[in-house]
Amino acid sequence: MLSWSSTTEGHPADLGAIARGEGDGGVAHGRELVAFAEAIGGFDDEVLAAARARLVAVAGEAFMVDAAAVAANFEMMTRVADGTGARFPDDPEGFRAPLDAELGIGHFTSAR
Amino acid sequence: MALAVRTDLVAAHQASWQHVGAPGARFTAEQRVRIAEVARQAYLAAEPSPPWVRPFGDAPLDVAYRLARHAGTVTAEFYEHVVNAEPPAGMHPLDWVEVVGVVIATLPVVAFHRAAGLPVPALPPPQPGAPTGLEAAELAPAGLNWVPVAAPADRVASVVQALSALPAEHDNLWQLAAAQYMSDEQMADPLWNRGTLSRAQMELVAGRLSLIRECFF
Repeated sequence: MLSWSSTTEGHPADLGAIARGEGDGGVAHGRELVAFAEAIGGFDDEVLAAARARLVAVAGEAFMVDAAAVAANFEMMTRVADGTGARFPDDPEGFRAPLDAELGIGHFTSAR
Repeated sequence: MALAVRTDLVAAHQASWQHVGAPGARFTAEQRVRIAEVARQAYLAAEPSPPWVRPFGDAPLDVAYRLARHAGTVTAEFYEHVVNAEPPAGMHPLDWVEVVGVVIATLPVVAFHRAAGLPVPALPPPQPGAPTGLEAAELAPAGLNWVPVAAPADRVASVVQALSALPAEHDNLWQLAAAQYMSDEQMADPLWNRGTLSRAQMELVAGRLSLIRECFF
């Protein structure tokens, strides 16, 4: 989805920001967004408060609120997928393989 | 000054809270609110139980805890173990689906408020009444999910059919997604956005958080 949307927007994103949590992914305010997502995923409220404040400082409150809503949505969707054993259809042509390798997700327990 | 939150997002979260506090297909509202309490506790715990511990000795509560805090460790083997065991260690596959439905009705509300720096709202009071028994007209085993789904199976994406066995859980999932992220129709346009985050910015948050949660899907 990131590749599709960023390419359509005319600025193909760097998936390394997702894979490693480094850089801005070639997206405006990407560094602050990645740090915000990291903090939400990390359960340290002080780190989260600092990441939230940085995001508000560069992009504003409404932007942070909508970023929090997207994060909340994926706290939900990850539980839907993991809780119901959601799978992709067979991929005999291996279209997903390069993306899986770049993101390093094939070893996840949830892949079993 | 108070933080401004979109009215559609507030309404979606309020609707999800009402959904948690109402009788479900298989659980009473009291049971559902207890499942939600466990999910909230697991998500916010400073020192959570490890994933291999079943802290309650009760299948719905143990599954809720593990899914809320250690979702990436939930395997097909664990699912099969639970749905093939007798209560209290086990539960019916549709009970499992309802537990997932209650957890995903609870966590995004908690997660949003925590992320935005807002107080996490109290859970709703349980409404009286017996379980509704409302299931899909016909159920089918799925190839793309462990859980049973509304027939015919595997005609739509696995996450779309995931909770379709219990229509109320399915509907709540998608009303939340439309407000927090986007609707199906909006998703078809890679440039659609709300005027705050661009689509690429939304997907950056979504992708990084999903990877942190070690969600293969």
